[in-house]
Amino acid sequence: MTSSFLLSITTFAYLACTVVYLSGTVFRAKHLLKLGTILGVATLLIQTAGICLRWVESYQMGYGHAPLSNLYESLVFAAWAIMLTYLVFEARVKQRALGVFPALFAFLAMAYASFSKDMDSRIQPLLPALKSNWLIAHVITCFLGYAAFAVSFGISVLYLYRKRSNPGNPNPGPKGAFAILPDALHLEVFNYQMILFGFLWLSVGIITGSVWANSAWGTYWSWDPKETWSLITWLIYAALLHARTMKGWKGERVAWLSMLGFGCVLFTYFGVNFLATGLHRYAR
Amino acid sequence: MSQDDGFIAKILSILASLKLTLFVFFALAGASVIGTLLPQGMGSAELESQFSPTMALIIDRLSLNNLYHSGWFRVLLLLLCMNLLACTLDRLPKTVRLLKREDDSFTAEKIARFSHSRTFVTEMKVDQAAPMLRFAVEEVFGPIRVLKDSDTFCAVSEKGRWSRLMVYGVHLSVLVVLAGAIMGSVFGFKGFMNLPEGESADEVILGGGGGHFILLPFKIRCDKFDVSFYDTGLPKDYRSDLSILEDNREVLKESIRVNDPLTYKGVTFYQASYGNMLKTAELVLTDRESGKTMSMIVPFQQVRNIPGTDDVLRISEYQESFMNFGPALGIVVGKGGPENVAGSWILVNRPDFHGNKVHNYQIRVMGTERVSYTGLQVKKDPGVVLVWVGFSLMIIGIGLTFYSSHKKIWVCVESNGERGGSLVAIAGRASRDVQGFEEKFAELSKHLEDRLPT
Ligand code: HEM
Repeated sequence: MTSSFLLSITTFAYLACTVVYLSGTVFRAKHLLKLGTILGVATLLIQTAGICLRWVESYQMGYGHAPLSNLYESLVFAAWAIMLTYLVFEARVKQRALGVFPALFAFLAMAYASFSKDMDSRIQPLLPALKSNWLIAHVITCFLGYAAFAVSFGISVLYLYRKRSNPGNPNPGPKGAFAILPDALHLEVFNYQMILFGFLWLSVGIITGSVWANSAWGTYWSWDPKETWSLITWLIYAALLHARTMKGWKGERVAWLSMLGFGCVLFTYFGVNFLATGLHRYAR
Repeated sequence: MSQDDGFIAKILSILASLKLTLFVFFALAGASVIGTLLPQGMGSAELESQFSPTMALIIDRLSLNNLYHSGWFRVLLLLLCMNLLACTLDRLPKTVRLLKREDDSFTAEKIARFSHSRTFVTEMKVDQAAPMLRFAVEEVFGPIRVLKDSDTFCAVSEKGRWSRLMVYGVHLSVLVVLAGAIMGSVFGFKGFMNLPEGESADEVILGGGGGHFILLPFKIRCDKFDVSFYDTGLPKDYRSDLSILEDNREVLKESIRVNDPLTYKGVTFYQASYGNMLKTAELVLTDRESGKTMSMIVPFQQVRNIPGTDDVLRISEYQESFMNFGPALGIVVGKGGPENVAGSWILVNRPDFHGNKVHNYQIRVMGTERVSYTGLQVKKDPGVVLVWVGFSLMIIGIGLTFYSSHKKIWVCVESNGERGGSLVAIAGRASRDVQGFEEKFAELSKHLEDRLPT
């Protein structure tokens, strides 16, 4: 058994998971939602095994580093972080109907990693600058933050749908598609909790990143595009948190801001690679 | 005077407002977007070639090509600080007063208006129901503080008052980080030095171009530089063995590698790059007029007389890889002294190239002696400690702000008048973790439902 085998199972299992969550939500079928959770947990376990195995393989090749070093490995880790974050959240709030978007994002990340032409999935040795425990802390914490924002994006979309399909009534009755979703008030609270979690980890991620930059290059902040975009993301979510304490900004505007923030996350992650060169451009 | 007061108060209230905060956040974010889309550090010539004249003028006027160091970007940061200070001055006293205030006693009717509240009617007397209530609250929430214990019983149970102050820690941390950054840019420096193996130097060339440099109060020597490769050909590790010299006496020996710098007297040396540097070159010159040849060994960047002539020669530059032709020397010849000078690139690996000439000399490079040098990033930043303190404070602050909660329970037992028995009221409020609090509150209500005979 190789890690790439386990990771390709993971890709398809996340697709199945997405479909099951979606049908459970649309057809208001509790048992389907439960199946979604079971599939999600099982896939997460397979993926965890795959990631660990890849780690072991890198030692066997004589490189020996955590599987967090190139775009391929970071996409796999992103999918893992999103599902982990979502499933822990699901267990805590005892709500299964919010799994569609997280499962979809996990699938898309895995699919992009597996099928994109310009993706190099080989295990490569680490460049000297990347050999740092701060880097590992940086990647893990950033991705926890991104994962929470991905989940929050999903909740925001559902919240806006909920609000718009029943204007005037924040707690619509049990009729219609998606009626199995929590009511708008609860969605707002869940969304806020996810954003708090994401903001905390994004902050830790930016900070560990700058500690790393300081040990490698002697500057904790150099306005490199990736760094700057993570700051932009952070500012958007900081704005969201403050907007939420102002009257009248709570519901829809916070949902829109969360979606904008996740757009910034995506740009930080993918878009920046197309901008001018910087320290963070992943080696292709 | 009152008009002045009104004006100042208005300015202060704008400064302390959350609207300004949002404006500053979005403005900083927008500016940073421009800063990443538009290449930074373009010169005016580059601007004019890439943009229309009006665009170039706008970019230049707003310093969009040097945005993060422009005046208006700094004004935004200053505005953020003032906003924070004003907001803190405005709110902190109120928060402290609120936290210090002693609880007044209350009635069942009053606390029934809180967002979480329950009222029970029981046949128990006040002096029976009160201990029972007290027991239930202490079991579910924690210690209780009795405010009034006579014909009516009033008490509160409270946890995590301090959590209301944590957000001030987050806000303070932002100021600490910015203060550290300012200290670093005012009292520190950043530059680099290329240090050949076996040599020592104290001259740091400062970044930002212009060739400015500063002298360190000590010397640093590179004893050895090493680079190792993976079998794929990618670099695996760079290492420099460095010595610090004070008055030419060795005081410290240490090796550095990427991610593992050396700090001495507040100055930190980072392994940044490496390369080869020319030491001497052996040249054969042919005078194309007389056909005479002469050979000479020339140290890099030193002026030498060309034997048997009045002419002088200097190797002024060296490139490892000159336009894909391999290494090349930049040679300058002064005809009859240093006035009438001309220079050219001389290719090392192509001695027969006809362009290898300066003035009347055809030049061949017979050999070069090279040394490898280590490229060091050199930095002094007295503010970095403050930045680390600010970062730590920020993480602890954000963690505690988000995941601690001020929870308070109010309980009250009153006699129920002529009907006999008593009225038991409970109410509660939590600043955060509302869900967890709701569960506890429901648990308490259940306890009371079970134990209060009706
Ligand atoms: C980069 C700068 C800032 C950061 C990182 C920051 C961070 C935070 C955080 C994490 C919270 C808690 C959010 C929540 O409870 O949902 C908060 C709350 C708050 N912030 Fe800021 N903040 C910043 C700047 C400011 C500024 C400039 C003001 C000025 C008006 C401000 C005013 C407030 C207020 C009034 C609250 C609510 C406090 C409360 O709930 O009692 N913040 N801030």
